[in-house]
Amino acid sequence: MDELLQEFISETQETLEALAGEVVAWEADPSDRDRLDAIFRFFHTVKGSCGFLNLPRFERLSHAAEDVLADIRAGERQADPVTVSAVLGLMDRIGELTEAVAMGAALPNENDDYLIAALNTPPGAGADQVPAAEPVEGEAAPVSVARPQAPQAAPRTIRLPLSLIDQLMNGVSDMVLARNEMSRKLRDRSSDAELDTVFERLSTCVADMRDVISKTRMQRVDRLFAAIPRMVRDLGRDLGKRIDLTLEGGDVEMDREMVEMVVDPLTHIVRNSIDHGIETPERRRTAGKPEAGRLRVEARQSGNQIVIMISDDGAGIDTGRLVDKAIAAGRLTPDAAARLTEQEKLDLIFMAGLSTAQQVTAISGRGVGMDVVRANVERIGGVIALDNHPGQGLCITLRVPLTLTIIPGLIVRAGGQHFAIPRAAVVEILHDNNDMLQISEVGGAKIATIRAVRHSMVDLEAVLGMEKLPQPGPRAIMVVRSSTGMPFALGVAAVDNHEELVIRPASPLVMASGVYAGMTLPDNGRPMLLLDAAGLASVARLPNIVEDDAARRQEDESEAAGVEMVAALRFEELSGERRLLKLSLIERVEDIDTSLFGKSAGQAFVRLDGRLVTVVNGHSRFAGDKVCALRLRDGEQETCYPVAAVLDIVQMPLVPDMVALHGLLSGVSVIDGEHLEVLNPFALFASLPQERPDPARQGRCILVESEDGWTREILAPLLRQAGHDVTLGLPADTSVDPRDIILCNGPDTAQAGEMLGCRVVQLRASPRAAGPQDGSIYRYDQDALMAAIGGRQG
Amino acid sequence: MDNLYLFAILAGTRVAVDAGEVEAVVRLTDISPVPGMGAHVAGLSALRSRVLTIVDVAAIVHGRPTPADQRGLAIIADISGHSYGLMLDSVSDICRVPEGAVPLRGQLDSAWAPYASAIVEHDGHPWLLVSLSAFIESASTAQAA
Repeated sequence: MDELLQEFISETQETLEALAGEVVAWEADPSDRDRLDAIFRFFHTVKGSCGFLNLPRFERLSHAAEDVLADIRAGERQADPVTVSAVLGLMDRIGELTEAVAMGAALPNENDDYLIAALNTPPGAGADQVPAAEPVEGEAAPVSVARPQAPQAAPRTIRLPLSLIDQLMNGVSDMVLARNEMSRKLRDRSSDAELDTVFERLSTCVADMRDVISKTRMQRVDRLFAAIPRMVRDLGRDLGKRIDLTLEGGDVEMDREMVEMVVDPLTHIVRNSIDHGIETPERRRTAGKPEAGRLRVEARQSGNQIVIMISDDGAGIDTGRLVDKAIAAGRLTPDAAARLTEQEKLDLIFMAGLSTAQQVTAISGRGVGMDVVRANVERIGGVIALDNHPGQGLCITLRVPLTLTIIPGLIVRAGGQHFAIPRAAVVEILHDNNDMLQISEVGGAKIATIRAVRHSMVDLEAVLGMEKLPQPGPRAIMVVRSSTGMPFALGVAAVDNHEELVIRPASPLVMASGVYAGMTLPDNGRPMLLLDAAGLASVARLPNIVEDDAARRQEDESEAAGVEMVAALRFEELSGERRLLKLSLIERVEDIDTSLFGKSAGQAFVRLDGRLVTVVNGHSRFAGDKVCALRLRDGEQETCYPVAAVLDIVQMPLVPDMVALHGLLSGVSVIDGEHLEVLNPFALFASLPQERPDPARQGRCILVESEDGWTREILAPLLRQAGHDVTLGLPADTSVDPRDIILCNGPDTAQAGEMLGCRVVQLRASPRAAGPQDGSIYRYDQDALMAAIGGRQG
Repeated sequence: MDNLYLFAILAGTRVAVDAGEVEAVVRLTDISPVPGMGAHVAGLSALRSRVLTIVDVAAIVHGRPTPADQRGLAIIADISGHSYGLMLDSVSDICRVPEGAVPLRGQLDSAWAPYASAIVEHDGHPWLLVSLSAFIESASTAQAA
């Protein structure tokens, strides 16, 4: 601690000294931004360090100054002489305090509040009360003290070495593995309810811990942006261009490894934009644009993705020149070029070796082109999109997952081994006995024709040099989109599962093979490799030729029909029907222990991660230990949909072929010659109970005969389990809410209850009603009881 | 350098490894193969939550992969940020050799030349002082070539 304190003191004194000159200059010209920044940084540093060293006076002073300076920086407040003086006063005070701490003397006992108040005095109001430097002690505090501007406590932070956090991460991963193993061991043993409860609690703790630890990996996007202003200024100066840069969304957080991965593509795009996009001032003037080009980099979070938009108001991409270049490079025939749509022409920019730069400059066009940018972005599971307005500007959107380490992946089996492949890379999954698919072989080359589009096809076993094991069922053919080239068909023994995978980097030895992108350690403790789609294509030396005719035909077809296709999951219901559900709604597919399912008040629930989640199709009893379930989410609500089996992912038309809104279904679509019912996501989520009933709103269940054994031991627990607020006996203060429900056994109490003005449910011990006027309910008729309680609530 | 060495039989040869390079010696249980790789990568193995790349040293040195049933011990080492397991035949000792490494005499088998630069005398025998990172490096370059 002493060491840290010493360091803090010397650092503060040093900075104070260095700033002395700056402060004078700032006083002379309060609009000087750089000096303002320097002073702001000083207070910020002091605040950060003293929070850690527990020096509350420093912290208050510096925090107050920082707040005001931040406002000035944001342009919300003018750096008027009063404020400048007040800030100077604070700096002097910090200097005094530092000295006192350094000498080990008692801190000078002035009133800091006065200084801080001076800082917060609105301009004009207290101008004459604030002396330029040291306040005179004992002077009456200005009126503005009364204005409650409570100093907000800044969140306390400490600095930690990254290695420590990594160690923590590893420790938690170990813990999760140990937990999983324990859960397997426990399952083998006879069940012990007490042990299960304890284990359940442990599991929750571990899960919480994992969540919290993963947050420590997050980093503000600011870091990504840090280098941009400097780069823009330098490039602009080199190229004689004037650029007006806007950075936004620096406080968005993303995984720090992801930040590292995005730095290069982002840098490249910004360079491109300045080099090729934004024109010289002269040209801009002739084009009728402001001389200074506008460049805007913006980050925001959207779901579990970070969206980074880089937009400029430059020349945009000249698609005509791209096409000419592609033709000149022999990558495209003039014929094919004539048929390209604008978007396809634009996509040519991602073709390796093409650049719109008329000449190779020092800044860009060094052979590292947009193809590399796209490959880098897609490697981390991201997507890059262009929005081109020739002559008006270009907007490039990068969408990258929030964390690098967790990606949705498909588990595939080949040669008796499991592999993972990022879900984003898989366009479509078919079985090889599908009618839409035709596999032909010529001269060793396999060609898969899917809906009249020919794809190069390889078997994963062949690429990896494994033996293709005989298997009873059909093989699965995945259409895989590699980041750099054409989609190709990849044959695997089966697609087993869909999981969120924690990806970690593989060692360079393994990466050198070129077909793997990383590895993951699933719960079973056997490491699994993540396949790299682009790597597989290049290792298999698949031809990278645009088959434009077939693609065009297919596109024409679908355009003619005007059908917009979306990815959908084909699955088999527990009742045996095959149905479709839009893939984007499905958060994950997992096998859930059937013991976790239950039913309450007619609503089926499943206990997942310690929460109750509704089961939308109402199933709660299953054969077997596990049931495959789809977990759906509409952004806020979560629900579970148990199914018999997940079949594959197909493309279905956005609007079903036959619209027939009925219950949970929205219609019927014909996929690969099979009629499939399509689930209506709207109806699905609309059918969910909006919230678990709120007991306070709903009223209590008052059990009048609190002495009765049956009421206490059987009825009360039943009602509590069903989510009702139960009161035994009439409330002492007799404040009965009209929404309350009185449950009683005898007719006399029923009358008393009716006099209180609330609903009464009368129960009887005999299964038979006493007579036609008897409105009571047999006490073991649970459905009727629940209906009576539920139904009588208005 | 505190002259602490691990003495082991690696690819049929007596070797000494600077203990600073060794994180642990473990018995391998389950190795998941990495298809599409040369014989020098035996596979991946999970050590608690870490995933080790298991390197078959015999395959690197002699080009003869170790049969699956003889895969037993491995030295765990952290080399440039990644965890590796280097397969061993057996471990004989860990001890301090005050005189440290002595220059190599005699003609070294060319297979071993890239990995060994000196010997350590222990127990009346010379042991080849090898560097674990040299194995990994050579495995990576062999692959690139």
